[in-house]
Amino acid sequence: MNPLSLDQPWGRGFQAVHRHAFADDHTLPDGLWLPRGLGRSYGDVCVNDGGLLLHTFRRDRLIAFDATSGVIECEAGASLADIAEVALRQGWFLPVTPGTRFVTLGGAIANDVHGKNHLSAGTFGRFVLSMTLRRGDGALQLKPGDTLFAATIGGLGLTGLIERARIQLLRVAGNGITQQTRLFGRGDPSASVDEFIALESASNDWPYTVGWIDTMHHRLRGVFFRGKHTVGEAPWSQPVAAKVSLPVDMPSSLLRPWSARAFNGAYYRSQSMKTASETTLPLWQFFYPLDAVGAWNRGYGKRGFVQYQFVVPRVDAADTVAQILTHLRTSNVASYLAVIKTFGERRSPGLLSFPMPGVTVALDIPAPGERELRALDRADAMVADAGGRVYPAKDSRMSNAMFKRFFPQWQSLEALRDPNVSSSFWRRVAKGNDE
Amino acid sequence: MNIIIVGATSAVAQAAIRIWAAAQHSLVLYGRNASELKKIAADARVRGAVEVTVHAGDIASTSYAQAAVAALGSANIALIAHGSLTKSDRADTDPVYLADEINVNFTSAAIWAQLLCNYMAASGGGSVAVISSVAGDRGRYSNHAYGAAKAGLSAYCSGLRARMSHLGVNVLTVKPGFIDTPMMSHVAKKGALWATPEQIAQGIVNGIERKRNVVYLPKFWWLILLAVKHVPETLFKRLKF
Repeated sequence: MNPLSLDQPWGRGFQAVHRHAFADDHTLPDGLWLPRGLGRSYGDVCVNDGGLLLHTFRRDRLIAFDATSGVIECEAGASLADIAEVALRQGWFLPVTPGTRFVTLGGAIANDVHGKNHLSAGTFGRFVLSMTLRRGDGALQLKPGDTLFAATIGGLGLTGLIERARIQLLRVAGNGITQQTRLFGRGDPSASVDEFIALESASNDWPYTVGWIDTMHHRLRGVFFRGKHTVGEAPWSQPVAAKVSLPVDMPSSLLRPWSARAFNGAYYRSQSMKTASETTLPLWQFFYPLDAVGAWNRGYGKRGFVQYQFVVPRVDAADTVAQILTHLRTSNVASYLAVIKTFGERRSPGLLSFPMPGVTVALDIPAPGERELRALDRADAMVADAGGRVYPAKDSRMSNAMFKRFFPQWQSLEALRDPNVSSSFWRRVAKGNDE
Repeated sequence: MNIIIVGATSAVAQAAIRIWAAAQHSLVLYGRNASELKKIAADARVRGAVEVTVHAGDIASTSYAQAAVAALGSANIALIAHGSLTKSDRADTDPVYLADEINVNFTSAAIWAQLLCNYMAASGGGSVAVISSVAGDRGRYSNHAYGAAKAGLSAYCSGLRARMSHLGVNVLTVKPGFIDTPMMSHVAKKGALWATPEQIAQGIVNGIERKRNVVYLPKFWWLILLAVKHVPETLFKRLKF
């Protein structure tokens, strides 16, 4: 599996200049380098402008799999798609999965990714049993409890090159998912968020929960989804490749608030017209709906998009989330796809891990201009005032001052960073003078 | 089925091994690099291969090939994938290097193909796929030595196919174009003409299944080579490509 572009992040928007090299077992490059997997990070955590990208996507060997214990060991460039495929055949699945399976194991660790089961499972980093990290001063075997282990989980690749890792998989009933959906949002935005939280907490038997929300609508209406593993039908193997691929970039003139309102409205109506509230579908379709469209990022045009994902603590979460989303709506910030989710109490071992107990919302915003960026800066301040944070893996715009408020522990990571590793993101948020 | 892969550490072979592993075949891997072979075998086992055995040795030597084929338990499919991208300038001035390169790219590949065909003909049939190259279709300025060895290999396979056609063995000549592999020094060198090892491997697996004779991978190379072959020699000799 190859990345689509080597010099852009998934959110596009800008083109960087890189030197490129493949990771091998023996040497690390000279100069400032950054490990890179499949480049699915939306922002500049996977960009190293002016430096070198050390590609891991060809170091994708599966090393050992014990189908009794569900422990798999892989090279860090192995994709979650490959791991899931092998695991599922023997009744196992990824313990935590993000919304795309086209990420590497190393990338999943470096961004400490989360999924729809955060309430019960926590982040990906909790399932890493051990890993090998190569730094300028040699290769290290790391296990939970080690300082560098904690710094590497969610460490944005800055602590060195993750060469391989062992992870604990999850036993599942089969390759299907039983899914239930429900509409919510009949009151004001704050009541909508409360309604969503109530729906989630009444879903104890349902490990996977998520809400889609129409942030362009004054009531913040939405659709609640919950799912659990079930025995699927036999031929539900992994789709080989995306059946359709976006061949061209969407013209930016079509990506305006009016089209976002129309898009969201149409989606809400299509959901509200569905007669069955419970369906069984292939697991791939439940977890990775966007993987069915190749290069879907082209749908946001040449200028790309930013993903804005924040989390705020549980106390007053409904009010804070409602205020932030109302602020963005009244600032006329267009968002096509927004999801809401509660993060649970399970602590990640990661030093700079993003999730905290509370409510998280992710929005994607096409080609933000000055007005949108100012509105997002204001939203950052609201998140910070509430004691929350913004997700580095998706960011390409937060200020260094805000980053340091969101992640006061950043200096511990800076201290453990391999001095030869850096990213555009890190140079942007960890350095600078406007503190 | 039991599948024999010679030159198993090549990028295309590795991609083919993954496809066959996922389809739960048994694999016998030959290559030079013992530690790489071991990793490839582990990967194939995790991905679903029933049984994987590895043999590390000098696969370009005749005696090694003879001993290896003599010791085979069974073989339904074989892929001969080893090769070396000859440096033309060095071949100009270093005849020992030239002889070695021709041995790797032509002689040893032809010997493996012949021996495996003989083996399968005696044991009920099968398929032998040999990776040649579009470079073998016409000798060019930039790769005269490599192209000549691959031309010889394509010709050998063509004749071997005829000799085997009544013995139940299908010989597939694979002619890939540019492959974006780790051998290529620069990762970002990507254009419409470049294919990934995964695409080439899928083409080989399909070609074997459909009992094809010659496949250009990707297909459009057939058209390009048709044009290249028809440039008059008086003009062709002035072209530096």
